[in-house]
Amino acid sequence: VTPGSLSPEEVRRLVDPVLQLSGADGVEVVTTSSNTGLTRYANSEIIQNTVQQTVRAYIRIAVGARFASASTNRLEPEHLRATAMRALESAKQSEEDPDFPGLPDPEEVGRPDAVLRLDEATAEATPEMRADAVAAILQVANDCAGAGIYETSSHSVSVQSSTGVDCFDTYSRCVVSLLAEKDGATGYREAFSNRFQDVDVEAVARAAVDKMRSSVNATETPVGTYEVVLEPCAVALLLEYLSYIGMGAKQVIDGESFLSSRGGEMVADPAISVVDDVRHPLSVGIGFDLEGVPRAKAAVIDEGRAIGPVTDLRTSRILGSHLTGHYSGSNEFGPYASNLVMSSGEESQEELISKVDDGLLITRWHYVNVLDRPTALMTGMTRDGTWRIEKGEVTTPVHNLRFTQSILGAFESSLGVGRDLEAYAPDYGSFGSQVAPSLRCGEFGFTSTTSH
Amino acid sequence: MDELLTRALNAATDAGADYADVRCVESTSEAISVRGPMVEALERSEGVGVGVRVLSGGAWGYAATAKVDGDSMVELGRTAVAVARASARVRSRPVELVPEPAHRAVWMSPVKTDPFEVSLDEKVGLLATAASAIEGRPGIRIGRASLDFIRQRIKLVTTEGTHVDQTITHSGGGIEATALVDDEVQTRSYPGSFRGDLKAAGYEFIESMNFPEHTERIADQAVALLSAPECPTKKTTVVLDGHQMMLQVHESVGHATELDRVLGMEASFAGTSFVELDHLNSYKYGSELVNIVSDATVSGGVGTFGYDDEGVAAQRTPLIENGILVGFQTSRETAAVVGADRSNGTMRAEGWENFPLIRMANVNLLPGEGSLEDLVADVDDGIYMATNKSWSIDDKRKNFQFGCEIAWEIKAGKLTRILKNPRYTGITPVFWASCDAIAGRSEWKMWGTPNCGKGQPGQTMRVGHGTAPARFRNVAVGVSQ
Repeated sequence: VTPGSLSPEEVRRLVDPVLQLSGADGVEVVTTSSNTGLTRYANSEIIQNTVQQTVRAYIRIAVGARFASASTNRLEPEHLRATAMRALESAKQSEEDPDFPGLPDPEEVGRPDAVLRLDEATAEATPEMRADAVAAILQVANDCAGAGIYETSSHSVSVQSSTGVDCFDTYSRCVVSLLAEKDGATGYREAFSNRFQDVDVEAVARAAVDKMRSSVNATETPVGTYEVVLEPCAVALLLEYLSYIGMGAKQVIDGESFLSSRGGEMVADPAISVVDDVRHPLSVGIGFDLEGVPRAKAAVIDEGRAIGPVTDLRTSRILGSHLTGHYSGSNEFGPYASNLVMSSGEESQEELISKVDDGLLITRWHYVNVLDRPTALMTGMTRDGTWRIEKGEVTTPVHNLRFTQSILGAFESSLGVGRDLEAYAPDYGSFGSQVAPSLRCGEFGFTSTTSH
Repeated sequence: MDELLTRALNAATDAGADYADVRCVESTSEAISVRGPMVEALERSEGVGVGVRVLSGGAWGYAATAKVDGDSMVELGRTAVAVARASARVRSRPVELVPEPAHRAVWMSPVKTDPFEVSLDEKVGLLATAASAIEGRPGIRIGRASLDFIRQRIKLVTTEGTHVDQTITHSGGGIEATALVDDEVQTRSYPGSFRGDLKAAGYEFIESMNFPEHTERIADQAVALLSAPECPTKKTTVVLDGHQMMLQVHESVGHATELDRVLGMEASFAGTSFVELDHLNSYKYGSELVNIVSDATVSGGVGTFGYDDEGVAAQRTPLIENGILVGFQTSRETAAVVGADRSNGTMRAEGWENFPLIRMANVNLLPGEGSLEDLVADVDDGIYMATNKSWSIDDKRKNFQFGCEIAWEIKAGKLTRILKNPRYTGITPVFWASCDAIAGRSEWKMWGTPNCGKGQPGQTMRVGHGTAPARFRNVAVGVSQ
């Protein structure tokens, strides 16, 4: 067993005996493996440098309408069998769940095609190559203090079940970031792709340094409601949080989602459409969910109208709605939209800015959190590049501001969507991506400020 | 296992490591989530792996694998050194470590009733009874209950002769009531939000929380919140309960005094700190009542251990004394940067996969005097907020905004009507300077939070905070859109 580089054949060889477990009515094994190299730098030198090889098998056992899960990172046959037995024991002691639909049957739900966003060269990148990339970034950063990461990684996911599910997909990631700092002024840029060749580290560095230079001598600006232009990095994080709090059918069923009472209604400006689409050219992910159901392209907001949540087998049966293939691996959390794409508009970011008479340009957010799920009310801080826009021009840098704002309210006030899409890695973990344009919103509420 | 770890250590040394430590983590966990009578999740997990951290050429390298055999250990040691040499290409100042005596020890956190020996029937029954009782109350939509048990055996060997073997068991749980009407959701939880509370203890901690005694109260409060008035927007006196004080200490003192943040090492992701090195022993962080320690020795804390993940013995370090900043949380590397003699032992990693970082152990607000009732009695007009619901703070840990599940208006020294959606905001040193009362030992309690995030790759850590209710004057409350 070689952790971190499991082939489909190896997975089948390991998993097949478990699928025959006596006493179980259904057995499902999800196997994940990752090889990650992440070089971290700060104060213009490498401070941490990690290579990880990880592997894990998640076994779900059904006994009638009872089920339970167990996982292990020991893939030797005796450990896999012991883990399956633990899940079986747990399942037998669970209550019957009338909503448990059983394990998916591929004859009913279809067999997925892999997306295969694996780039061999990215998967095989070395610590030396990552160090050289960091050196190239720091050369552009020059006399600024540089901090960020250069990650290259490869990941594979497979699902096998006693009902005949048998699927495998794999992808690679390259994530690069630079925070440039000098005399208290900061600028930030990051980039993300499944291919390191598509990430221009010098362009990332130049953008961060330009932002830093434009942020010198920031001053306080009054709090209040502003027209804003959000850069793609800021939009992507808002999409990630919207997904987390309410794009899944479980949250809708529980009444806790912003879609619970507004399904079919206009929740955003008609220029805004959001889909979960793992096959978008900029997305990075896998072609099935964590019970092996094919991932459909699922509209969540279509031309401003709430279309509906993403579903898994259980929630699609409860709602009587289309199965989109978004099981998250957690019955407690429910389905999750991990590859959101906001459709592009027709204007460049510069054109969006040129139409703002008095507003703010936002680079990124820090520490966003949810205040109220049904209204998608959130709070968070700006950081690393916030400027005043006056008469269509970016003018003075301003101290960071705290927003307290319904994100759907901001989307409803949209005045323009940018034409250039950018991909971003999720804030935590290595699963999924967000693809977003710049966005001009007519109203965005800022409730307090800070001293930098 | 010891022989395998020694092989990795020797391989690293042979490959040119100037320093190496090898850490094996074997973990077992169980998580049970129940909604009403139904089990929503019953997950048991186990794992083992080894991480090797080396210094070579003045730079760090880290390599980790789940493949624990002789050949893999040799390869792992060599890989870590190769990674360190790559790091050295972009390193101007060599990493230095302050000295730490070699320790040889076995350490275990205390457990009276092994939670993994308690039957699933008993655990599920406890949760289903509590969650069903909540769902049985009028107006309640969802009753939830959860239990979490985690055991880790951590073996650490270093080239300096340290050989420690620790077994740490954490147990936690909580219950939650959610009421809904139209598009409004209100939730009350016990003993805290986000899966309750955690302790370094066994199943006896679960029994001590006595869920059945609290189901009716939280259910009825969740329903009452739906028709309660909004928390007003104004500046007023605020009394915070112990659970909210846990988050207040965590975000505005704990993270702000991590020396890696102060030195800029976390700048691009988690951020830095408004605290500067020359603030030490002079900066007025809060009022004279404010005393805060980093304490990895306190009983029951989920940040309590015998030795941190670079082999430094657990310590109790003052961070704020009588309102003055007097200490940072350090590692052997960062202690050397600031000229300290010794690390105060706060390096921890999530599992074997990750490089250890400075992580809060238990950052505790020391108790003051009197009771919660006494704190409220001295308020003519104010608000008492309880149970954290949301948190956010800027990248220098200065501008914060917190939300709580519930509040009560205080009038003439008494709690009066319930207020919904209570939130408050402030600037860290201004807020702590406004602290004019902290309740005494009888109100002081160790809390555990399961989900402190830091680092890249992202790491999640369980962190402890001892707190008592406290009072703050002239605080901005009722922040709304």
